[in-house]
Amino acid sequence: MLLIRRRAGESILIGEEIEIQILEVAPNRVKIGIVAPPSVPVMRKEAHLTRQQNQAAACTPDTDALAQLVKKLTVFSLEKAKKQDENNPKIT
Amino acid sequence: MPQVHTKYFGFLEYMPDNLYDFPAGIPGFEENKQFLFIDQPVTKPLVYMQSLTDPGLCFVALPILCVDPEYRLHIGPEDLKLLRCAADRQPRIGDEVLCLALLSLAEQQPPTVNMLAPVVVNLKTRTGLQAIQIDTEYSHKQEVPCS
Repeated sequence: MLLIRRRAGESILIGEEIEIQILEVAPNRVKIGIVAPPSVPVMRKEAHLTRQQNQAAACTPDTDALAQLVKKLTVFSLEKAKKQDENNPKIT
Repeated sequence: MPQVHTKYFGFLEYMPDNLYDFPAGIPGFEENKQFLFIDQPVTKPLVYMQSLTDPGLCFVALPILCVDPEYRLHIGPEDLKLLRCAADRQPRIGDEVLCLALLSLAEQQPPTVNMLAPVVVNLKTRTGLQAIQIDTEYSHKQEVPCS
């Protein structure tokens, strides 16, 4: 990875057509301006991850796999409730 | 009553009141702007998020508090505006918004949910979006706590 130190007001060029401008530097975030041709998609990495994750989620599952998961979830929540009961015994 | 062709349940009748608008769709599926939420007693707590226009598109989700009872929303100002929620605070999960984590089930892998970008629906305006949380460390691939 290439590391470059920049201050607010300075910028970086990637190739001929892409410019990354550092607009503002605050203690825990920076404001960045991006100049790029319309053919270059620019997005936050989280948005890209979410898109990929949605595509995986959409081709999810057959009903058998879902039924198994439901069973596991039910058993898990019953066991959790049981453990809680054991930790907080009711006074009768 | 209108009918919808669903991925898992064939044709279902639905109340127009149960239809939610997603003006921007969700990332990767921007052209799907209306979804129905279906829950079935036998597959509780799963919630099915069925596209109205594409029968083959149905996400499976879990209520976010079911995955993490301590979950805190961190919706950015732009998304709050799109949801038509108050701008000065986070909406309350349950009575103001429905909040679901989309589930991915891949073979040979533990099931995961996207906690970084939950589907959030304003129950009053019936408007929804997938809200990528800001300044949080929630994962887009969190294992479902079931073992």
